[in-house]
Amino acid sequence: MDLKTAIIQLVTAFLGSMGFSLLFGMRRGHLLWASLGGVFTWGIYLAVGALLREGFLPCIMAAGFAVFYAEALAHLRKTPATIFVVPAIIPLVPGSSLYYAMASAVRGNLPDARHYGSQTMQAALAIAAGISFVIALRQLQTKR
Amino acid sequence: MELTSELQGQLLDCILDMGQLLLGCGAEISRVEDTLSRIGRAYGASETDVFVITSIISLTMEFPGHEAVTETRRIVRDDGTDFYRLEKLNALSRAVCAEPLEIEELRARIDAVAAGRKPFRVQLVGSVLAAGSFAVFFGGSVWDGLAAAILGALICLLQLRLDRTEINTVARNLLVSFLIGVAAELLTVAIPALHMDKILIGDIMLLIPGLAMTNAVRNILLGNTISGLVRLADSLLWAGSLAGGFMVAMRICDILM
Repeated sequence: MDLKTAIIQLVTAFLGSMGFSLLFGMRRGHLLWASLGGVFTWGIYLAVGALLREGFLPCIMAAGFAVFYAEALAHLRKTPATIFVVPAIIPLVPGSSLYYAMASAVRGNLPDARHYGSQTMQAALAIAAGISFVIALRQLQTKR
Repeated sequence: MELTSELQGQLLDCILDMGQLLLGCGAEISRVEDTLSRIGRAYGASETDVFVITSIISLTMEFPGHEAVTETRRIVRDDGTDFYRLEKLNALSRAVCAEPLEIEELRARIDAVAAGRKPFRVQLVGSVLAAGSFAVFFGGSVWDGLAAAILGALICLLQLRLDRTEINTVARNLLVSFLIGVAAELLTVAIPALHMDKILIGDIMLLIPGLAMTNAVRNILLGNTISGLVRLADSLLWAGSLAGGFMVAMRICDILM
């Protein structure tokens, strides 16, 4: 991936995360940090992906970071973490491979449908795994 | 604070309303349970047992010298994720736990939160921005982004219209994704420079149950397996109906064109 694509993606990740924050009624005061969450998450995905040259582990790490970022921000701003988790994680959501899986299935191209379908599932699993790690770590720390 | 039996009943109603609002605006189950039992404790209940799943809240409170009272509340509809409301409820519960309000005052504060909704204009701007940005994010041109943004506005208006009907999630997603699929096909036929795949990917991001799925996983991990599994099944059905709608739209257009 070249630098230009990466920059376009980081900028649109910012705008896209901001769009979702607005859609879900985020307060103005949180908007900048919530949208930056999407940029950081995608940045980590790209950076780790460039190092490892695959998609699964970067997705886990980026999702883990998103939850960590959201919890830290929520702690600082005394609000529920949920509101920062969503905008931070949204760039990882596999909308693209889901679409291509569906389109290939409709056109009877089963090998492609299977390929994109398993990519979608992998991304969903990776996001779930990333979230799990961070929540598990946090639960090790606090006893209530 | 010493409460008479009548006031205890009113408090129970208040707490259940708060739980219902919290669930409706997208709080995870553990937060709802935690918040409700904290408020119960703040008002001097010796025992507060809360059980919450996505469709029901059951609350039992016992005050010293009184019999235990139980009420359940069936949760029928989801108001749609609303972070502003979630924050206000969170602030209210913090205030109450620090210094319990008179029941009348608490009632008024809860009603005030329930009356406020996120403004539609902001939701429209959000949909347009999100759909447009993600079309470009996944490799579309600026024009694809623009087209996705227009369809994003259409999705937002459709959802608003459907909110006023009794339609369930599966039927709603089938309908919305079908209409958006057809609209995208028509747009790309009219303007051949557009890429239909990128436009639809931008709009899928708005419709995909990404949030529901994330919440499902978090619910399971935070120890609320039942709710998590219900949400997970919901979101899989939701994704399936989404795919179904798009597939029918694509198939029809493939045959016609």
